[in-house]
Amino acid sequence: MRKFFIISFCFMLGVILIGSVVLADETMDRIEKTGKLRVGFREDSIPFAFIDPKVGKQVGFSVDMTYELAQKLSEYFGKKIEIEPFTVTTKTRIPMVANATVDVEMGSTTYTQEREDVVDFSIIFFFSETDFLVPKDSPIKTIQDLTGKRLGGARGTTNLKAIEDQAAKGLYKPKEIATLEGHAQGFLALKTGKIDAYSTDRSLLEGLRMKDTNPENWRTCGLAIAYEPYGYMMRKNTSDFRHFLNDTIRWSIKTGKFYELYDKWMGPKGVVPISMSPAYKSYLEMIVYPMQDNWWKKK
Amino acid sequence: MGLAYKFDWGVLWRDPYGVWLLKGIWLTIQLGLLAWVIALALGILIGTIRISPWRLPRFLATAYVEVFRNIPFMVQLFFWYFAGPMLFGQSLQFRINAIIGLNYYVAILALGLYTASRVAEHTRAGFSAISRDHYQAALSTGLSHFQMYRYVIIPYALRIIIPPLTTEFLTIFKNSSIAMTIGVAETTFMSYKIDSETFHGLEATTGAMVIYLILGLGVVKLMGFLESRFRIAGLIGRK
Repeated sequence: MRKFFIISFCFMLGVILIGSVVLADETMDRIEKTGKLRVGFREDSIPFAFIDPKVGKQVGFSVDMTYELAQKLSEYFGKKIEIEPFTVTTKTRIPMVANATVDVEMGSTTYTQEREDVVDFSIIFFFSETDFLVPKDSPIKTIQDLTGKRLGGARGTTNLKAIEDQAAKGLYKPKEIATLEGHAQGFLALKTGKIDAYSTDRSLLEGLRMKDTNPENWRTCGLAIAYEPYGYMMRKNTSDFRHFLNDTIRWSIKTGKFYELYDKWMGPKGVVPISMSPAYKSYLEMIVYPMQDNWWKKK
Repeated sequence: MGLAYKFDWGVLWRDPYGVWLLKGIWLTIQLGLLAWVIALALGILIGTIRISPWRLPRFLATAYVEVFRNIPFMVQLFFWYFAGPMLFGQSLQFRINAIIGLNYYVAILALGLYTASRVAEHTRAGFSAISRDHYQAALSTGLSHFQMYRYVIIPYALRIIIPPLTTEFLTIFKNSSIAMTIGVAETTFMSYKIDSETFHGLEATTGAMVIYLILGLGVVKLMGFLESRFRIAGLIGRK
């Protein structure tokens, strides 16, 4: 029995090690060789990357940004670079990026220090705030009102960690903190009365609300218990690729494409209207350094 | 070059992750054992009803087995958790949804009901494995029908099905990991939670694998002991 155990353990370790060897490959070289950019998209992250029921494909702000990236990569390599989409979830996004199934995850992933240890991030392109979605007539208005309530969050999100940490610190004493499988299930739990408030980034909550048949039955609380800086996520040690992605984002800000996309998805007529705060606006203006035209041309 | 991923096995025992895993293991064991009690009791009952001479109970038992056996467990779990309370009507539904730890009870119940359908099939198979001669021999010694089942057939059948029940007992621990999808904080849940906090998912998942392996080997040992303890020389059971 012990022998069997050791053998199976060695086998598992072997699988992991073989997997890691494959990881050590330069992203840019691979993209040039295969002509394909492998991207992980979420399905429920409105308005950044989500399934459009009419088209049956992923759409959103980050998806459009991916087209920008593919466009620039095509110009850089002088050949057509196609996007090969993969569906990722909050659970699978890190492993899929780390094991090189996808080159980059383009969604709404929060930039944290712990994550930075395992993957690399692009520059921050958006800030969201952790808020709660509640029924319209809910008594929850301030952070103190969360005491005695049943709160919910999605597994593996920074929001869930934030409410757990703050509850542990004693900022409020919820009756229960439930872990849900994803935002759709979280909203279902809220609708069926299993939880009193569902937490994630406000932009996503607004997205969930807008997708409901009666959006006016729900409201966000206007709380900001934590800030969530969003970045695109890629494998460690792919500095050329990361640099290229960062420059694509900066260039899109400089040319105004960024604002155009923002307006398309989060403008007053967008899927989820979120107004740009003045601080966010100046952040965008300040991260653009002088770039030459045709910076993407191979030297 | 080097590895793009740095291993850090410390996430399996470092504070607070070690405690999380232990709590998860404890919950896995609770889920498995409690669901197993339901599965065994209900499964043997239903399996026995399926060979009974009464038509209606037999039909109901067969319907139960087919419904529970043919729907994926995860779908059943979601159904019981999200739609189950609605079966009790408007006012009661609200009270049920307000129960703290509802997901834990639902997980045990759903796992028990699902596994019961499989245990029932094994029980039925156990009965069919006993030859006609045994029934007749028992009756010819002057036992009544009830006594025949009570003293001869059922004890035989239960011994015959120990090996397939071992598999079910193993499966119940493995299936308990699906309870994670409704937020029950068992072993797999905890390994995912460690993953989401530290992003060392490979270590956390490997840890969970080893835990399940040890748990499973323990079950195999226990059932092997029961098997040899209750074997009937020359007839059932292996050394």
